[in-house]
Amino acid sequence: MLSTDLRGNILVIRVEEKRIDASKAPAFKEKMTQCIEAGQNQIVLDLSHVEFIDSSGLGALVSCLKRLGPRGSLAVAGATGAVSRLFTLTRMDRVFALHPNVDAAVEQLSA
Amino acid sequence: MKIRHILLILTAILGAALLIAVASQIRDEVLEYQTAQRMVASNTVREQLLLGTDAMASERSQTYVLLIGQRNAASGVMELRDTRRQVDDLLSAAERKIAATQGSLINTSSNLESLSRIRREITALRQQADDYLGPAEGARGEKFAPRWFQEATRLVEELQSSRMTILQRERPLDPILRTEANLRTFGAILSESIARNQALMSRALGNPTDIGALEVNAISQNAGRAELSWELISGQMAASLGESVKKAVSSTHENYSSTFAPLQKTLLAALLGKVPPALGPEEWYESTGRTLSSIALMQQELLGSSRDRLEAELSRAQRLVALWSALLLLGATAVLASILVVRRRVVQPLEGLSQAMLRLADNDLEIPLPRSTRADEIGEMNDALRVFKANAIQRQRTQNEKQVLHARLRDAYGQLQKDLEAAAVIQRTMLPPSSTVEGVEYRGLFRPSSLIAGDTYNVVRRNDGAVGFFQVDVAGHGAPAALVSVACHHALSQAILTRTQGTPLEEIAVHINEEWPEDLPYFTMILGEIDARSRRASIIQAGHPSPLVIRSDGTVEVIGDGGFPIGMIPAASYERVEFDLGPGDRLFVYSDGLVEAEGQDGEQFSEARLRTLVRDTAAEPSSVLLDRLDEVLRNWRGSETLDDDLSVLMLERLAERIPANAVH
Repeated sequence: MLSTDLRGNILVIRVEEKRIDASKAPAFKEKMTQCIEAGQNQIVLDLSHVEFIDSSGLGALVSCLKRLGPRGSLAVAGATGAVSRLFTLTRMDRVFALHPNVDAAVEQLSA
Repeated sequence: MKIRHILLILTAILGAALLIAVASQIRDEVLEYQTAQRMVASNTVREQLLLGTDAMASERSQTYVLLIGQRNAASGVMELRDTRRQVDDLLSAAERKIAATQGSLINTSSNLESLSRIRREITALRQQADDYLGPAEGARGEKFAPRWFQEATRLVEELQSSRMTILQRERPLDPILRTEANLRTFGAILSESIARNQALMSRALGNPTDIGALEVNAISQNAGRAELSWELISGQMAASLGESVKKAVSSTHENYSSTFAPLQKTLLAALLGKVPPALGPEEWYESTGRTLSSIALMQQELLGSSRDRLEAELSRAQRLVALWSALLLLGATAVLASILVVRRRVVQPLEGLSQAMLRLADNDLEIPLPRSTRADEIGEMNDALRVFKANAIQRQRTQNEKQVLHARLRDAYGQLQKDLEAAAVIQRTMLPPSSTVEGVEYRGLFRPSSLIAGDTYNVVRRNDGAVGFFQVDVAGHGAPAALVSVACHHALSQAILTRTQGTPLEEIAVHINEEWPEDLPYFTMILGEIDARSRRASIIQAGHPSPLVIRSDGTVEVIGDGGFPIGMIPAASYERVEFDLGPGDRLFVYSDGLVEAEGQDGEQFSEARLRTLVRDTAAEPSSVLLDRLDEVLRNWRGSETLDDDLSVLMLERLAERIPANAVH
């Protein structure tokens, strides 16, 4: 469900699912936690393939952010449509750094 | 036809075939044995008759010479008495033998008859002879002598022919036996020829001048017959006879041709030439007697040889009968044993197995399996059956366990379901029924995705006349979300009721957000308040979809642009959104389950469709609008179920009724 790509010290995690909902959220959270516990703290989450995130999915996303702690950063790239609207509605656009694409997110994190 | 029948029938058929073959062999052997027995009997009778014939020939000569007065009467009569007794003994022995072998020899009665007649006749003849043998008789005896000789010779010949009849009837198949029988016959002719000449020549030598041509001719004929007999005997010698027989024949012939034949020839020549013979009758008689004894010895040898051969043949036949009988017994035992073995080792175990298999197939696991420690196919089948049974028992046990587990699960599920149904009832009773308070009419739509929901809402009338309300959507759904929603319901209701007048609404949100345990799921909400006296209303939007305001003129507005959910970011801040809510204006608060409800093709119902629907039904009363919405959603989903909890709360500020006595 996730594919990873290490760019320098930044781990790009792409979600290969169209939805992050109650049925996918636990697995998503577990895999993300694995990546974080493996020592990655500069993460770009590519949501360009994701069309819908429900409340469980959003909860999983936030808990990953919390787990990463203040030293790490989790940038979100490619959020569009319903996903983008969810981020806005829940003010998560203020919590996550949102970027139009992965390159922009990686560039931002590297800076 | 069952296997056991096939096996048993096959075994029985094989056994019967074997027994029939052996039995027919036994029949043949018994027949051979009987034949051998008959041969032995025939041979014995013939032996007696031959000896009897010889003895009678001897009696004839003795009586004859006594009659013609050539022998010393006293010693001659003594000797004759012995010979007679010998003849009688031999003839009665022959009679007894014939009587004894009546079972195996055919047509013996005629032999017995002729034998007893011969005995009667010889007795009569003897009495006649005895009359002439008295010392005073002299010349009368000599007169009787030729008649005696003739009669006795007839009886001897009759005995001979009686013997030949028996030989003809029981002709041996064995070539050696046959040759020996021939040799005896020729030997008998030889013996008879010599015996006749013994008597005739004695008389001629006693009175050579008084001898007639007829008598000489008879003597010469007898001599010729003896020679002929020897030729016949020599003709038989090519056969593979026993060494002792050959020796006996050749020594007898030697004796005959070296002594007797030349002597007889010389005497005959003297008689013919009327020359006084060189030999007296006494010497002749003695010499002939020796030759006859030698021939008798040869006959004895032949008889002995035949007897031995026949005995051997008989015992061989007996042995074969015994052997084949033993084989028959063995065969019968083997057949019986194989039938028993087939029954015991194949048929019965197979039947047992087949019974057990059928019972097992009928799921009868109580059936005891046949005990077997055998290493053959039956044993293997038995072992396999044992495994089948063990597996079947195991399977049944597993099945039973599964059923028990299933029943337990069903019970547990039933209990859970009952609990959830009860919880659902409780949850529904927490929701406010449609009502009007402080000029605000409200009604809700509540459709959980399962029995209990993470959605809830409430409308609370404060003491100061304000109408507080909230709608909550706890992240996730089902029991955990429902429990949290109950907690929220209570917390928010209390917070609304206990809020001190003048405290900003957002502080409730901030306070609850700060206090929210991190382990609990977060929730989104609209917390709002409608001031009964002013036309204003205010809301806190915490991650919840933006509510709609349906103006009394039918226009639809969206209130708010978002906010942090509660329990997600501890340090979140919340903004109060204030807006007009005039008489006839309605506030439409909904959870995301409404706009995210997916149709069969996966498309969400969407805010746009909701706004259109609301706009289109804005003229209708709230109840109609909600009914319509419910119906549209069911059609949209294409089913009665939902993936997420769905709730709508509609609040309407009623048109103010101006009291009649009101003064402004």
